[in-house]
Amino acid sequence: MENLLEIKNLHARIGDKEILKGINLTIKPGEVHTIMGRNGSGKSTLSAILAGNSNYTVTQGSITYQGRDLLKMSPEERSWAGIFLGFQYPVEIPGVTNVNFMRTAVNEHRKQKGLPPLSAAEYLKLMREKMAYVEMDPSFSSRGVNVGFSGGEKKRNEVFQMAMLSPLLAILDETDSGLDVDALRIVANGVNRLKTKDNAFVVITHYQRLLDYIVPDVVHVLYKGRIVKTAGKELAAEVEAHGYDEFE
Amino acid sequence: MEEFRYIPKSELFKCSVDLPGARKFFVWDGVPDGLPLKEAPALDVSASFEVSSRMERMVYPVSLEDVPQKAVEIIPEEGTLTQVISVRVSPSLVFGRVRIVCQKPGNYAVVLCSHTTGQERFSTREIVEVSVSGGARLDLVAMQNENSLSAHKSDFRLKIEEDSSLKMNIITLHAGNVSNRIHSLLSGKKAECWLNGLYLEDGEQIIDTDVTLVHNAPECLSRQLFKGILSGHSRSRFTGEVVVSPAGQKTEAYQANNNLLVSDDARASSDPHLVIYADDVKCSHGSTAGSVGDQELFYMRSRGISESEARILQQQAFAAAVLEQVSREELRERLSCLVERRLRGENTVCAACGRGCC
Repeated sequence: MENLLEIKNLHARIGDKEILKGINLTIKPGEVHTIMGRNGSGKSTLSAILAGNSNYTVTQGSITYQGRDLLKMSPEERSWAGIFLGFQYPVEIPGVTNVNFMRTAVNEHRKQKGLPPLSAAEYLKLMREKMAYVEMDPSFSSRGVNVGFSGGEKKRNEVFQMAMLSPLLAILDETDSGLDVDALRIVANGVNRLKTKDNAFVVITHYQRLLDYIVPDVVHVLYKGRIVKTAGKELAAEVEAHGYDEFE
Repeated sequence: MEEFRYIPKSELFKCSVDLPGARKFFVWDGVPDGLPLKEAPALDVSASFEVSSRMERMVYPVSLEDVPQKAVEIIPEEGTLTQVISVRVSPSLVFGRVRIVCQKPGNYAVVLCSHTTGQERFSTREIVEVSVSGGARLDLVAMQNENSLSAHKSDFRLKIEEDSSLKMNIITLHAGNVSNRIHSLLSGKKAECWLNGLYLEDGEQIIDTDVTLVHNAPECLSRQLFKGILSGHSRSRFTGEVVVSPAGQKTEAYQANNNLLVSDDARASSDPHLVIYADDVKCSHGSTAGSVGDQELFYMRSRGISESEARILQQQAFAAAVLEQVSREELRERLSCLVERRLRGENTVCAACGRGCC
């Protein structure tokens, strides 16, 4: 099967600090990958670079997505091409309602595909359907994006947005952090419902507990900017039991 | 010989804030259409009071000297929206006066629109007097939509008496050089005054806002929120002074001026201050000037919202806090729509109109 994403020898820095020191990663459609690692190992940097955050500079290496040079694409082009980043810290946008935000996003995606914008009624129908995935109250739609949302509500809103945009490659950056067990289950169920043979997920996490709900095909350990070990789902349990010290 | 036909001018100009059910008046270069100018004494909103601790008399004067004798007088009807559409047609200086009087309990609403036709160098001066008393609650919207060569100097003189309330929103969609001076006097117990402003500037536009608001009675409330979105080489200057006299115990007064700088060359200056002579008050003031948040921008773009669209959403969001203050829904929606079109760089005329008059 053709690769969805191929990262080769990726080096990146923020300011003068080199964070990624040669990442290699290949993802095929239908796969769920987990990236585990300590704080500061480069997990969030990798996800930010995949989404096109310009605060980071790629100094070496390449990223190929569906045969295209991903690093040449703007954040919105990446989104149109099917990449989605679930933020670790979703951004609050006062004054822009959730409904206005998502409707604009969905219609921009449709425009790129040569489809007409959704009518208000069509949008609401789709929105209600996807909100149910994450057991989100429709009243959230009229509130400012993430404004006054609890940690759990923000993460649910991320999964809701993912459901609205049906990405091909979804990167979930510590979506489990700050969630209680119920919220964790809701978020994981949302992800599982969206899984198909055509799309892939990269689940970035500290802990194994999310992996009780989302079963990965491949687990990577990221340590000081490099992937130091790759194995099946059993690796997650090993990391949980022994910590990251053995990778020193 | 051709037969003379009288066409009311109001047929030639369609307002872009066309509001069904509104009582509508047109004013052409300061002259009302089908409404006599009325002679009326000037509204005095100056204030003076003794400050015993300082053995001093403080005076906040407003000159009545050059107030035109005659005015366009608007007596709003309870529950009905009154719309006054002022259009500039010929490029001479116009010095106009508008008087709005509400004296009985009830809810009143007035919208004042200022327009220009064509690309002449219009120069306008006006005095707008607003007197609210007897438990009246007036909602006033002043919408300014003029060409970039126009100069418009407005003097708003507001007097709010006991148990009465005024909410004024000044929306400057477009103009060349605007000066809005507002002098508001809260002269009776439990009077309320909301002042909100939104100014959108680009190119070489200059917009000055100068507010003096005097609390000269106890238990009054005032809230000010002025917001500007500046691009190009535009300039804004905000000066605001809230004065609480010794009589103003239990005053609540808040003032804020926030500016969003969209371009590197735009400049906003802001000078809010409070002068308080009473000891039992709640007052605050503040101002900000900032540019668009990069994090917000990246978040929106990562969802597939293009950069230009994301910037417009941010600007609309910034403007929303002022527009939300417009109480009448139909008016709020029309204004939001005009603001959006303005931010998108489209003409701020109604889609249904197509005359391109302003």
